[in-house]
Amino acid sequence: MDNGRDREKRCEIWAIGGGKGGTGKSFITSCIGDYLASEGKKVILIDADLGGANLHTFFGVSKPQNSLTDFFERKLSLNDIVIDCGIPDLGLVTGALGSLDSENIKHVQKLKFFKHIKSLDAEYVIIDLGAGSHGNTMDTFMLADKMIVVIVPELTSIENMYHFVKNVFFRKLKIVLDRHGLKDLFLETWKNRESHGIKNLNDLVSHLKEGSVDVRSIFDKEMSGFRIDIVLNQLRSSRDIMLGLSVKSVCMKFLGFHARYAGYVEHEESVLKCINKRQPFMRTYPYSNVVKEIGRLSDNLIEGKEVKTSEFVCRRL
Amino acid sequence: MSSSAEDYNEYFRVLELCSDASFSDVRNSYLHLKALYSGDSIATANIPDEFPEGTRQNILGQIEDAYSKLVGFFEKRGRESGCKDRPAITFDDEFKEYLAGMTSFNGPLLRQIREKLGIKLSDIASYTRIRKQYFEEIELEKFSSFPAEVYLRGYLTEYAGYLSLDVSRVVSDYMNRYRLLTGK
Repeated sequence: MDNGRDREKRCEIWAIGGGKGGTGKSFITSCIGDYLASEGKKVILIDADLGGANLHTFFGVSKPQNSLTDFFERKLSLNDIVIDCGIPDLGLVTGALGSLDSENIKHVQKLKFFKHIKSLDAEYVIIDLGAGSHGNTMDTFMLADKMIVVIVPELTSIENMYHFVKNVFFRKLKIVLDRHGLKDLFLETWKNRESHGIKNLNDLVSHLKEGSVDVRSIFDKEMSGFRIDIVLNQLRSSRDIMLGLSVKSVCMKFLGFHARYAGYVEHEESVLKCINKRQPFMRTYPYSNVVKEIGRLSDNLIEGKEVKTSEFVCRRL
Repeated sequence: MSSSAEDYNEYFRVLELCSDASFSDVRNSYLHLKALYSGDSIATANIPDEFPEGTRQNILGQIEDAYSKLVGFFEKRGRESGCKDRPAITFDDEFKEYLAGMTSFNGPLLRQIREKLGIKLSDIASYTRIRKQYFEEIELEKFSSFPAEVYLRGYLTEYAGYLSLDVSRVVSDYMNRYRLLTGK
């Protein structure tokens, strides 16, 4: 939560979440990791989908020797359970299959987990999160330098994403105010929101900011950097490209925080074929559009850039 | 100048653009946001539950305001840099009769009208700062290249306005034809 400003050579952490299952978070994670590694970066992927960990399958790794279970139950260090997934410079921490679920992780274990993530020996650590808005999932998401959401062009996916990100924002606000001894103010305001005329997150924020100079300065210092990066997956037509821009607009105008449209990836049949054959996609179809799109979106994420507007109007599929 | 430059930054921000955006970026973003908050997108389909109608109207108002201010900004800048003005087009009686005889506007007819007026597509393009290719495609009725219907409608409006035609009639005829041809 301190954003690690004191780091010297700390790895950059990206978390990939988004609320709904089946939007391709693990696929995107595996591809971005593969791309960054092929660009000469040292990367470690962490499968934090504790309910249904299978990031290793995207690389054809069948039975991981070590997993997060060893970290949480056998007290191994995170660095020691990084496994080789067959691609140079790309390490993998596989999720815990079975015994562990995110609800059973205690607070102390969580803090240790976060500390170990930050000290991993890599330039980029990419965390693949499970679906849902569980507290531990949201905390891991907030830990990241880049909070990335993966959505598909479906109403339910977009709806769940708004819900997830709103919860994350709310939780972060609560934690920040709590740290400044303002938890009671926060909870009281929210409890009596009706009498304050507060209908949504935006109203709550404005109400708190109007009520106190302290809150305003805390907010400006600690919340104004809150930003999500949007990745739109499984596009079916060039018209869908605009949707990322729409979702970004809603995040900014309705939900009240920054958002970037980092990139999109089109739907391609060969993706499913690869997954089913347990072949790493980026290496199996190196000349596909998907590979180019992954490259572009990864570069955007590194540089904090967005899809270029010219792509909206000029691009044809 | 510095205080008004500040305001323009705010208008660019409302349209979610950087302050160095081109006029065509401004227009594209305006058309997109207007359609988005007029309620025809899965990105906004389920937000009414939480966000009152008033908020949406408010946002739409800000978008309209920002766009009209920026149109003024670009017009002024265009005049300062000696940009080509739209020629004053006056129709003689014969031409008026010719137009009155049209039952319905379509792509080939628009092209015929434009050619009769001796206007080049590149003139419209440089005045409107919309790529010439889009106007070509409007005349050829090649709709597949427009990323969304709002662009077609927006560019058509510019095109008809440039030719001093009855914009609402041209747009309504043309869009009917568009729906017929594309089955939408």
